[in-house]
Amino acid sequence: MSKRVTLPIAQIVKENETIRTFYFEHDLGAGAGQFVMLSDLETGEKPFSISECTDERFGLTIKKLGTFTQNLFSKKVGDLMTFRGPYGSSFNLIDGKALIVGGGYATPPLYFLSKELLRAGADIILVNGARQKEDLIFCERFSDMALNYKRITDAGCLGRAGSSVDIASELLAENIYDMVYVSGPELMMKAMREVLQQYPELNYEFLFERYMKCGIGICGNCTMDPLGIRLCVEGPVLARDKVEQLTEFGEYHRNAAGVKEFFKI
Amino acid sequence: MKKNKSRISVEFLGRIVENPLVLPAGIMGMTWSGMKFTWENGCGIITSKSLTLEPRKGHPGPVIAEFEGGMLNCMGLCNPGIDNGLAEVNDFKDKYDVPVIVSVFATTIDDFLALTQKVNESKGDFIELNLSCPNVADEFGIPLAASKVQVSKIVKAVKKISKKPVIAKLSPNVIGLTDICLAAEAAGADALCLINTLGPGMLIDIDMKRSVLSNRTGGLSGPCVKPVALRAVYEAYSQVKIPIIGTGGVSNGSDAIEMLMAGATLIGVGSAVYEGGIGIFDQINKEILAYLDKYNYKTIGDIPRLEKLK
Repeated sequence: MSKRVTLPIAQIVKENETIRTFYFEHDLGAGAGQFVMLSDLETGEKPFSISECTDERFGLTIKKLGTFTQNLFSKKVGDLMTFRGPYGSSFNLIDGKALIVGGGYATPPLYFLSKELLRAGADIILVNGARQKEDLIFCERFSDMALNYKRITDAGCLGRAGSSVDIASELLAENIYDMVYVSGPELMMKAMREVLQQYPELNYEFLFERYMKCGIGICGNCTMDPLGIRLCVEGPVLARDKVEQLTEFGEYHRNAAGVKEFFKI
Repeated sequence: MKKNKSRISVEFLGRIVENPLVLPAGIMGMTWSGMKFTWENGCGIITSKSLTLEPRKGHPGPVIAEFEGGMLNCMGLCNPGIDNGLAEVNDFKDKYDVPVIVSVFATTIDDFLALTQKVNESKGDFIELNLSCPNVADEFGIPLAASKVQVSKIVKAVKKISKKPVIAKLSPNVIGLTDICLAAEAAGADALCLINTLGPGMLIDIDMKRSVLSNRTGGLSGPCVKPVALRAVYEAYSQVKIPIIGTGGVSNGSDAIEMLMAGATLIGVGSAVYEGGIGIFDQINKEILAYLDKYNYKTIGDIPRLEKLK
């Protein structure tokens, strides 16, 4: 049983105007792609992907969105938060050639992944895309790593205009990879799935997001059609054989009540 | 798609169920694919989330708190509402010939009747009246299951119009549960489901100096409630003639057999999906089969019940 742990916030790093990384000193023992359920015991409890994890500490990179995150952003170093986890599946590490494709605010868990992959001996090319320069997070961290780092924005403020999917398509056409890892907004990932259909032999893993309530596989809120697998247990990282079968992917998700909400295209 | 009749298949209200395991209301039964996934992993009957007339988001988190003996939950009846919920049930039933219990929750007879009419038009096989959710007292008051008069009134009214067999899900948190079971039976209930979660209980974070659950309290489930569930099922079994779905703390084959010996026809497996994973259903079925072999029983029906209380 993974017990709940209450810890003071050890460090807060401002990534941009609306994104901060909160660090806690604790040996979480998580794999890249896994998440924790974080709570202030005041305004709710939410799942967050782990953006950094060592034997000594872990980090959660969080965007200010609603009541819960607003309350979190008012906290200082030393204030207590409680969490349970780590939960869910993690990325499979390789020691060959890896292509990592990130979009927008879904990029931070790819930092944790990159660190793990480098340790495993992988050769990494990482594409980081966002709408605008300000939304490109973790740029410095990625630039400091021993990997081939490419960034791109819709507006082209960093030299080139386009999406991470554009760059990934070009790279896939010219190179052979042992594994492709993707984490981004759902519609970006859907575009990526279409690109990857042209390479039927290629292994890939996607990091998904769905509304999670219990985090431990019993409430059924985060099951994905038509497989019925629970994103909090069988996911949030899903491999190609599963991703290809998902019919709700890019189409709809279910809200906290379980009512279907369709993605706006 | 249908699995075959086997040594552990059971007859329940005129239907042959491939094995005695029931997914109780509140666990996994929110989406059609979640129902499918649970059935594929060895569950015999699926119960939907308790459906209400309108969608409910339930309580904010934390809605789950684990501890040594089990867990507390205060989901707060989150469900997509009767129309969306029945659409999920129908989507499942269109593809799989697996019995489904549609659980419904309301606080008035009129609302129960409105829900029953909708269930009548659905592909669900049974209707279960959740009279016993312990987590919405702030909103709705004491569960109806606390009063045998209320239980009797609602069951009687629903029975009058229901096209599906009616199951009453009752609460262990009452005085004189057996009398309430008898009242449900006398009102026409076709089966009972015993027990809903215990308590409610609470847990406190001593560093943050707050209750862990957002709703302060939550229903208790998991291994620690099994003895109470067994007692409730056994006492009811001694008195009523209708079948009982025994649920509460069943986490392995031995627990399931205890539940059968206490008098249950079917066995609910809920919280154990957490500790045991979704494979818990196949695992329990295997362990029941091993028990049949150990005592040379041909079928699950040969497992003896305890002698009824006099």
